[in-house]
Amino acid sequence: MKFRILTVVLVIGLQNLMYSQEYIPSWFEELPEVTGVRLAVGYSGKFTNEFSAKSTAVQLARKNMAKQISIRLKFDVEELADGRLRLLNPSFKEFYEGAVLNAIESNSTVVDSAITTDGYFVLLAFPAVEYFSLPDAGDKTWSVRPDWIENLPEEDGYVYGIGMVARYSNWVRAWQDADEYARFDLGKNLQIEAESIHAVQRDNRTTIESVILKQSYDLTIEGATIVARWLDTANGVYYSLCRAPKP
Amino acid sequence: MKKLLTFVLLISVALFTINCGGKQPKAKMSDIPEWYLNPPQAEDAIYQAGDAVKTSMALAKDAADARARDAIARTIELRVTNMMKDFMQQSGLGEDSEALEFTSNVSKQVANTVLKGCRIVKREMKVEGNSYHAYSLAEYNLNSLVEETLNEARRQKALYNEAKANMNFEELEREIEKLKSVGQ
Repeated sequence: MKFRILTVVLVIGLQNLMYSQEYIPSWFEELPEVTGVRLAVGYSGKFTNEFSAKSTAVQLARKNMAKQISIRLKFDVEELADGRLRLLNPSFKEFYEGAVLNAIESNSTVVDSAITTDGYFVLLAFPAVEYFSLPDAGDKTWSVRPDWIENLPEEDGYVYGIGMVARYSNWVRAWQDADEYARFDLGKNLQIEAESIHAVQRDNRTTIESVILKQSYDLTIEGATIVARWLDTANGVYYSLCRAPKP
Repeated sequence: MKKLLTFVLLISVALFTINCGGKQPKAKMSDIPEWYLNPPQAEDAIYQAGDAVKTSMALAKDAADARARDAIARTIELRVTNMMKDFMQQSGLGEDSEALEFTSNVSKQVANTVLKGCRIVKREMKVEGNSYHAYSLAEYNLNSLVEETLNEARRQKALYNEAKANMNFEELEREIEKLKSVGQ
């Protein structure tokens, strides 16, 4: 009997791990575009009560909105290789205005929300709106693998960035990191300072390449919006797509 | 109880076997993207590829992107160096040590200066055992290169003029403009 119970528990646990976040609101996968209003998504995992879940999701949506309005990103990566090992040291720092966050807190509205088996989702609008209608809003399963994962979109006047993470046990953390990586990736596609030194040593048998590589940027980006997300449910890979108007 | 112990033992052995499955598998040739082996050629853009293997997907992507961009920066340095050397030789200054230094300074600065609009246009991620193998293709528009070279040459001109007051920078700018016409 114990054997059967243990097997059932294991199977259910593995299923949950493999197919976590099966249902999502449509605007979580693809952010709708509405003229005159900025939209940002917030989300939270399972909470003991609905109020806490919503409050956490709204807080995250406000932060995402503040980052969307204006964010300063500082990125640098160093890679040292001496032929035997390679060391990679990336650094990510971001700053956004507290005053902007306060303005969002006082003048924004939650225009839609959804509770799924995994958590709570909110769609925040800034500035606050009285009436708002979303076409085709509702819960759905993930669509087929989008093309933007392999091929960065090309659109006049816009720059894009992709964030991807895998092997996360917590989906909220996974999406937060995928979103952040997407913002930083966008910055790299705008402009980046690149320096490197390559030295190659050759003898009769071996070739050893030593590399010191450094790349960095410090940019303030306005309008960097997470416009799409996609979850590879079979492999547990989280993808976010960020878009910003070219300065 | 006996069944339970057998079950736990089997699971442990299975996990051990999966985790210590021998050497890290290498990329199969069929898995390597075509654009990595043969980056696209274009008149108005430079393409370079990079790859990296890491246990973290995000790190693998960052490293592959950085290597692709580094390859772009090195290509730019080479192109600008050749362009500047050609000009210097035509001006009769090719063997002059100061002229060589000027050439080197401009080339290095252009390569090290901010890469504007250097985008990762294609990317693929392969799973190899416990690691991720990321492939990235970077694209850099040649018009950006022309602008950077002109700006840097103008910046360096002030320094160089102290030594070579009679150098005709309009000719250099015309040479660089030739590249621009190729990019259009």
